[in-house]
Amino acid sequence: MTDRRRRFLAWLGRRPVLQAWTLIAPAGLWLLLFFLVPILLMIGYSVMPRGTYGGVESGFTLEHYARFFDPLYLAILGRTVVVALVCTALCLLLGYPVAWVIARSRRWRNLLMFLVVLPFWTSFLVRTFAMIFLLRDTGLINTMLLSLGLVEAPLTLLYTPFAVLAGMVYSFLPFMVLPIYATLEKLDPALLEAASVLGARPAARFRRVVLPLSMPGVVAGCLLVFIPALGSFLPSDLLGGAKQMLIGNLIQNQFAAARHWPFGSAASTVVMAGVLVGVLLYLRTRDRPAPAMPG
Amino acid sequence: MTGRQPRWLGAIVALVYLFLHLPLLVLVVFSFNASRFSVEWTGFTLEWYRQLLERPDILAGLRVSLVVGVISTAVATALGTLLALALARGRFRGRGALESLLYVPLVTPEIVAGISLLVLFAGLKIALGLTTIVIAHVAFSVSFVTVVVLARLAGMDRSQEEAALVLGADEWTTFFRVTLPQLLPGVVSGALLAFTLSFDDYVITSFVAGSGTSTLPVVVYGMVRRNIDPTINAISTLVLVFTTLLIWLADRAGRERFAR
Amino acid sequence: MTRPDPPLLEALRSGALSRRDFVRRALAAGAGLPAIGSVLAACGGGGPERPADGAMPPMPAAPEGEVAIYNWSDYIGETTIADFERETGIRVSYDTYESNEDLIAKLQAGATGYDLVMPSNYAVRVMREIGLIEPIDRTVLSNWGNLDPAFLAQSFDPENAWTVPWQWGTAGLAVRTDRMPVPDSWAVFHDDAWRGKMTQLDDMRDVIGCWLKYRGRSLNSVDPAELAGAKADALRAKANLKSYLSAPVKAQLIAGDVWLAHLWNGDTAQAKTAEPALEFVLPKEGSMIYLDSMVIPRGAGRRRAAHEFINFVLRADVAAGISRKSGYGSPNAAALAADPSLLRPPSAAEMQRLEYQEDLGAATGEWDRIWTEIKAG
Repeated sequence: MTDRRRRFLAWLGRRPVLQAWTLIAPAGLWLLLFFLVPILLMIGYSVMPRGTYGGVESGFTLEHYARFFDPLYLAILGRTVVVALVCTALCLLLGYPVAWVIARSRRWRNLLMFLVVLPFWTSFLVRTFAMIFLLRDTGLINTMLLSLGLVEAPLTLLYTPFAVLAGMVYSFLPFMVLPIYATLEKLDPALLEAASVLGARPAARFRRVVLPLSMPGVVAGCLLVFIPALGSFLPSDLLGGAKQMLIGNLIQNQFAAARHWPFGSAASTVVMAGVLVGVLLYLRTRDRPAPAMPG
Repeated sequence: MTGRQPRWLGAIVALVYLFLHLPLLVLVVFSFNASRFSVEWTGFTLEWYRQLLERPDILAGLRVSLVVGVISTAVATALGTLLALALARGRFRGRGALESLLYVPLVTPEIVAGISLLVLFAGLKIALGLTTIVIAHVAFSVSFVTVVVLARLAGMDRSQEEAALVLGADEWTTFFRVTLPQLLPGVVSGALLAFTLSFDDYVITSFVAGSGTSTLPVVVYGMVRRNIDPTINAISTLVLVFTTLLIWLADRAGRERFAR
Repeated sequence: MTRPDPPLLEALRSGALSRRDFVRRALAAGAGLPAIGSVLAACGGGGPERPADGAMPPMPAAPEGEVAIYNWSDYIGETTIADFERETGIRVSYDTYESNEDLIAKLQAGATGYDLVMPSNYAVRVMREIGLIEPIDRTVLSNWGNLDPAFLAQSFDPENAWTVPWQWGTAGLAVRTDRMPVPDSWAVFHDDAWRGKMTQLDDMRDVIGCWLKYRGRSLNSVDPAELAGAKADALRAKANLKSYLSAPVKAQLIAGDVWLAHLWNGDTAQAKTAEPALEFVLPKEGSMIYLDSMVIPRGAGRRRAAHEFINFVLRADVAAGISRKSGYGSPNAAALAADPSLLRPPSAAEMQRLEYQEDLGAATGEWDRIWTEIKAG
């Protein structure tokens, strides 16, 4: 049995391409069947006429794409990109220090890491309503500020861009912290000591040693935050007062009240294509100076 | 090196944790509040915990969520880690395309994923239920696991693996005794994300769940969407306490094992 | 248990979309997409016409041991399900949804296993149109006579062959009478004296609909000039709004953050239990009324048990229990007679000002664009 296994492994070892594909096959097939096929369905929807009662009718049309490139919808897309970028930047600014502290601590490491994801084991809506309770005019924060005499009248916190960003950062922070932690954790403290001995000040140590080594985690984190942030819509509805639309709201509406699956699909396809082009360009610049990183 | 953090760094991190946990604190406190609408504090009560016992749908939802969460996390973590290894180590045609394919689930709006999976399952004649929920959850969390493990793999030192192979260990043993332990922080981070995604998903699940298989988020969403029901605070508090306890025990057990 | 065939396979089988046709289209187009497309059309439900048969499926003599109900969330009595299980021995599997569109999408995909669902008036018409429901057998509903005739024979089902009324409601103004004078018109949203203290429902049909009523139009209007007027009124109101917010506004009405909300009567009644100063006003220009119905999805496996549940709900005490919890109106005359605390049906004069929402058909796209412009404006 073990002999056969060894021979199989040796056989695989002589065929690196096959070896790679055995690793890829399970997840690849799963994604292919249960994500790529549905996406193709969606792209299919996007070029078909709208069904009067939802769904689509057979035929071929590009009118939904033409409709999307209307200033009204492009403005919504532009706004969404800006919001997602700001959210990503905030997550990075707040998440990096957290990942660093978790990676550097010994005794509390597991607990600190766990506390980052714990809030997400309650329901999204429940958390959001708790935030609304904190932020509203008669909420906890305003009540405390008023009783401490720090403000004269309640601050308008809820239903502002600030509240939307707070909600989004709250939702996406773990996606920034965990990948950065995963790269920082393997950072050898000896490197920092060496830099220190050689006279590097803390800022220089960070910029020249820590940051470059943690770049893969930072990039992964930014992608995991930015991309889903593009599609999010509930924070904008519940914390922003639904007075503005993000692309996620637009798409959601097409599959709900508007019952216009093809237009919703076309809008999703445009966003998805944009992201894929961006990722491909990034992968190309990353892989060009190969092999920049061992492995 | 450890322990000597600048003070401002500690302050930022403390504020972030406060930001993350203040809403939870509100939730826990209000699970003991007598007021039904959770507007202000009107007195201490255990009424909402008592009512929880009369809500079989909440407990059933919790059970479905745990089953789905554990299975889909295990599958997604295994598949995602293998995929990351292949992407990081393999040199093969189509690698770039495959890696960018990874980001498709991240960018797909949930409602689109939910509806198209629903159409697919109907086409394949798979009855909606636990199976379809697990399939969907694995599909959307594999990418997260892979991206996190990939970040860990980037720049990982291979000399230990090579040493093991030179010393005569087969690849199997090398993988489990050398590679995996080195990867572990990445794998654990990925698994945590996968479980979190599964345990918190509402939109996709609501499309692929069949009769009698509503997960906790689906039940809770229905309860709070229209009304603020304090039993929600009670069940959330119990889930928080239970999971914290579980992690703490696991952490302690792990520490004792590794202690010399 | 018999399940309906998924539309895709059924279309292939029934010949509405023959295999040869499929292959020919794929080859002719030279690309996969339009081919996938034609299959999708079949999936989407807009494709092949189902025979609009009103044929009554056979009724089993004895109820099945279980029934699967799919209802709006938070829309049933405290003990309705437990009582039904105890009295009949039929086990209930109960799940909830949040919108008519979610319900239709799920039933359209087939194979959900639900035996009883509660769509709103305009959704019933859509579901009938695409053949998602099957007729009700009134001969086994011994409590049918309890229903108020005012809620029978609606335009979406003139003979009540498909639907049994479940609950009704209206939209209007929920006012904190201790904070501001009671308004009688939608125009209150244009009064900047209350800026930042008011909310409207986050719903395309309700917001545009109320501004159509405000100008004396039908809330089902598809006239571009009328819609443009509604958009202008909605934008003027938006400047004074704190937010667009639906059911969750109740907590803020009670807390006093919001003094005036565009809200449904049942939700107002629920909030009034915590804040007695709240009143519900039907604006003089008129508003929306809806009626949700119990219907049986096509191919439901447990038809008899579903009818048992419907008949149970038609009992006066059960219907009263549901309305007491939900705050919404009961279409059950016997329940209203038994419990005077329940919401009364609209008077004849009020009914003149109320209008049911109809499906907008192809004009939905125009409405959606205006809604997007209101949000972006």
